[in-house]
Amino acid sequence: MLLAWAAFAAPAAEGDFQPIPPLKERVTDLTGTLSAADEARLEARLREYEAQKGAQIAVLIVATTLPEPAFDYSMRVVDAWKLGRKDVDDGVLFLIAKNDRKLEIRTGRGVQGTLTDAVSKRIIAETVGPRFRAGDFAGGIEQGIEKIISVLQGEALPPPQKKRVAVSSVNYEGFLMLGVVAALFVGPLLRSLLGRFLGATATAGVTGAAAWWLAGGLLFPIVVAIIIFLVVLLMGAVNLGGRGGNWPGGGWSSGGSSGGSWGGGSSDSFSGGGGGFDGGGASGDW
Amino acid sequence: MRKWALMLGLTAILSLSGCGYNDFQTRDEAVKKSWAEVLNQYQRRSDLIPNLVATVQGYAQQEKDVFLGVTEARSRVGQMKIDDSVLNNPQAMQNFQKAQGDLSSALSRLLVVAENYPQLKSDANFRELQSQLEGTENRITVARKRFTDTIESYNVLTRQFPTNLTAMLFGYAVKPQFTVENEKAISVAPKVDFGAKPAPAPAPAPAPAPGK
Repeated sequence: MLLAWAAFAAPAAEGDFQPIPPLKERVTDLTGTLSAADEARLEARLREYEAQKGAQIAVLIVATTLPEPAFDYSMRVVDAWKLGRKDVDDGVLFLIAKNDRKLEIRTGRGVQGTLTDAVSKRIIAETVGPRFRAGDFAGGIEQGIEKIISVLQGEALPPPQKKRVAVSSVNYEGFLMLGVVAALFVGPLLRSLLGRFLGATATAGVTGAAAWWLAGGLLFPIVVAIIIFLVVLLMGAVNLGGRGGNWPGGGWSSGGSSGGSWGGGSSDSFSGGGGGFDGGGASGDW
Repeated sequence: MRKWALMLGLTAILSLSGCGYNDFQTRDEAVKKSWAEVLNQYQRRSDLIPNLVATVQGYAQQEKDVFLGVTEARSRVGQMKIDDSVLNNPQAMQNFQKAQGDLSSALSRLLVVAENYPQLKSDANFRELQSQLEGTENRITVARKRFTDTIESYNVLTRQFPTNLTAMLFGYAVKPQFTVENEKAISVAPKVDFGAKPAPAPAPAPAPAPGK
């Protein structure tokens, strides 16, 4: 209890915190507790489970999480790893801080229907804890995972999908900028080169292709292309003069840069599905 | 003439989005959404309490003060009308936090009571409620942190140039940040009293640290 006070009173500097290992495999053992065979077997089981059910379960064994409490560290890990599918939030993290003798099960909202905080606590206390106390880490972890899997049998999750590239939300503002630039600068240029109709078509084609390449899908690029086509075609009614001239370019920069990140891992490596965590789960020790 | 009107109109639209008007909308909505989540978790904790009190009462009915304390703190929180307007009202926000803090203290005292009653400690129902409460306290911590992040993001936009001009134009003010109440009290280490009667440990003003 006193330690909690100390933690509040003099929070350690950010630089002191334990680093978060990159997410490459489902079982990350930084302490060498598990043998290569155990690790491979566990990894295979979790991969098979994800292929079958869609939920992502990961195991992380670190030596210590201090000076952070294990809960805080586990939250940083799940925020970085993003286990589970986006908007389904069906990820589970099983964290073991070996030297601290602390366990954490962190669950996403999507699995909390069956894997409630109370159930997680019971798994830690009854299944994993006793085995860890006896020194059987591999067994404790394996049985804990099996228990989690069996509990999740009752959870209604969407079926797993085939590999697809994770694309985050499209930055429509950026495309507005792109479209305006295309119409106002490229349009007149192509018009003078190719004539009115062909110039309009060419500009529309280029912009549509750029929109498709950046955002994917079909409807959006087509809509963009049609709009650009009409704009460039009808620009003849308004004589904008030979030179592009004095357009204020400064206002665009901050609008276009706030785009999302483009995901898409290779098919072999393991990566998080973009799931979120709300702090649910349970802690324990042994 | 029409050409200039078109250019002017286009410039206005572009500089508006460049100066963060859309960002304000997004971040303001993010603040409201994360606040709703904070309230949701506080409500969840509030809902757990009657069951918890009933369970503890089953084993320790003589601890009347503690039960009264929790019930009163809970009703005080329940009486407060909390909606989005509290986001712009520092005094209301402070009152709300104080009420929740008092409830946290009362709950700590309730759980400490359990330490003195081994039969209660091993009661399955009590253990289940305890883990639910721990989980909810953790969720409150996470929701609060995410809420302060959205407030920070919004406030930064309100104060930076050139978006502060847009803020002034459209009336976006800086929002009060979540502060830890009684910061002075927390920074002083508590005196540990090894007197004859075991006194309940004083609870820190914010939600008690999970997994002690």
